[in-house]
Amino acid sequence: MIRATLRTITARRGSFRGGALVVLVAVLLVIGVLVVVHELRPGRNPSVGGQPMLDGVGGAVWALGTVVAILIGALAGSYDVAQGTMRYLVLTGVGRLRIYLARTVAVVGAVLLALVPALALGLIAVFVLPSTDADKVTAGEVLDVAWTSVLFPLVFALIAMGIGTLLRSNGPAIAVSLLFVFAGAPLLALIEAANETIGDLMLLQALDRLTGGETSLPIAVAGLAAVAWVTLFWALGGARLARDEY
Amino acid sequence: MSVQPEPIIRLEGVTKRFGSKVAVSDVTIDVPRGRCLGWLGPNGSGKTTLIRCMLGLARPSSGTIEVRGHRIPGEADVALRRVGGIVEEPRFYPYLSGRGNLEVWAGFLRGDARSRIDPALARVGLAANADRKVKAYSMGMRQRLGVARTLLSDPELLILDEPSNGLDPSGMASFREMIRSFVEEDGRTVFISSHLLDEVEKIADDIAIVHEGKLVLHGSVAELVADGRQGIRLRVDDGDRAEGVVGGLPFVTGVERRGAGELAVAVERPDDAASIALTRALVEAGVGVAELTRERETLEERFLQITGGATADEVRP
Repeated sequence: MIRATLRTITARRGSFRGGALVVLVAVLLVIGVLVVVHELRPGRNPSVGGQPMLDGVGGAVWALGTVVAILIGALAGSYDVAQGTMRYLVLTGVGRLRIYLARTVAVVGAVLLALVPALALGLIAVFVLPSTDADKVTAGEVLDVAWTSVLFPLVFALIAMGIGTLLRSNGPAIAVSLLFVFAGAPLLALIEAANETIGDLMLLQALDRLTGGETSLPIAVAGLAAVAWVTLFWALGGARLARDEY
Repeated sequence: MSVQPEPIIRLEGVTKRFGSKVAVSDVTIDVPRGRCLGWLGPNGSGKTTLIRCMLGLARPSSGTIEVRGHRIPGEADVALRRVGGIVEEPRFYPYLSGRGNLEVWAGFLRGDARSRIDPALARVGLAANADRKVKAYSMGMRQRLGVARTLLSDPELLILDEPSNGLDPSGMASFREMIRSFVEEDGRTVFISSHLLDEVEKIADDIAIVHEGKLVLHGSVAELVADGRQGIRLRVDDGDRAEGVVGGLPFVTGVERRGAGELAVAVERPDDAASIALTRALVEAGVGVAELTRERETLEERFLQITGGATADEVRP
């Protein structure tokens, strides 16, 4: 069932294949740009691989990967109802919660499939392409970047899936999910200005703490806060899916 | 004493409301196994709503539904395990091929669903187009793929909502044959809803007519046709005089004028004796008889009479 659901997500040319390609092209661009600037001004840009490559690849996968993951998650949540296939999934006799759980696992799988090739290519470039001793990176630093590049997209994909399931319409699901991410930062600033403790429990702040950010929030609490945010949207979507008539 | 087999569908007092609107009203019916039931009604009469309730897609406001001996929605997972359905229209992932779509659904079904994909595609005549993307399929091909999907669970019961929509006349004929083969060769039960009376009359063993959410008539096709009003149509040279003469005959139960010289005469038994007696009475009264035809009320006429002339063209509220 998970494999079947994964297939319905990964076979979409626009959101999945296009998204994975965009991230891959972005990583190739980072590699290309670093090679060119190194060739043009080797004195000023002595390293192609190492730290500059890790920063560039990590940033590209993190930023574009989050947007792609939102597309994947939002569509996974809304598509079956919008397309009319949901009723035929229910007709199989499989419980609605099981369908939703399979969708959740499939979204995680799809996001990883979309991002891992680009991330892997970029990380190979970090080690293979030349760098000075000062720009050499440790395995721990690479793992940190990989963790950040994957955690943000996965979290926002699951939230977008909940929003998509809740809204049941592809366009609004994508729009609201993107708004949630991009409006998150300014909203967070406002909340932090009002109350720092509450601000620390907001999703972006919790994710920042989980990816090495330095806030006063204990890491376990940050983890719980992030899980709570994901669970909130996931549960809202699941409740609608369980209650709706098709 | 013979024991009646348990019906495959048992509805008891099923009502479904949407706010103040009653879409299905107190429907009670048993559907026996191994037969084809035609569920007839004009658009907006609650046909699809009841089907959605039977398939666990919607919850009835009151009443009980049992499919294959299991309650819906409480035991839907067991009840639907060997049920196939098309509701309103078959929907698919358009970016996958026909076969790809069936593989997806087989992934959700228990047992040997995957091994049934090729036989199902062959059965509905889509084997040659199985690897084309569904977005390139015609409506008729989608309908057939929808039927193929229902076969993946080796269903005891097929519930098909307006399945012949979008089929051309030759497609409808082969579709009819296919449905009959499910019943006669495979021993499956088919519950088919339609507003195409003619089609249902040809496919179904039993017919239930629903109007404004209520079940108004249920019986075998043979019974319903036999029960229809019978009469004799007359074309004469003096309609007014003929009406007076015919109306006075003891075996005539009603006379209806259909034009200047045309009358529809309802009689107790439209047999030879009635025809001869009618002709003799008219000729003796000096009325010229140009034509005399025996008529039997068709199922369509009964349907239109019951539903107050509602047709398939009615717009859903």
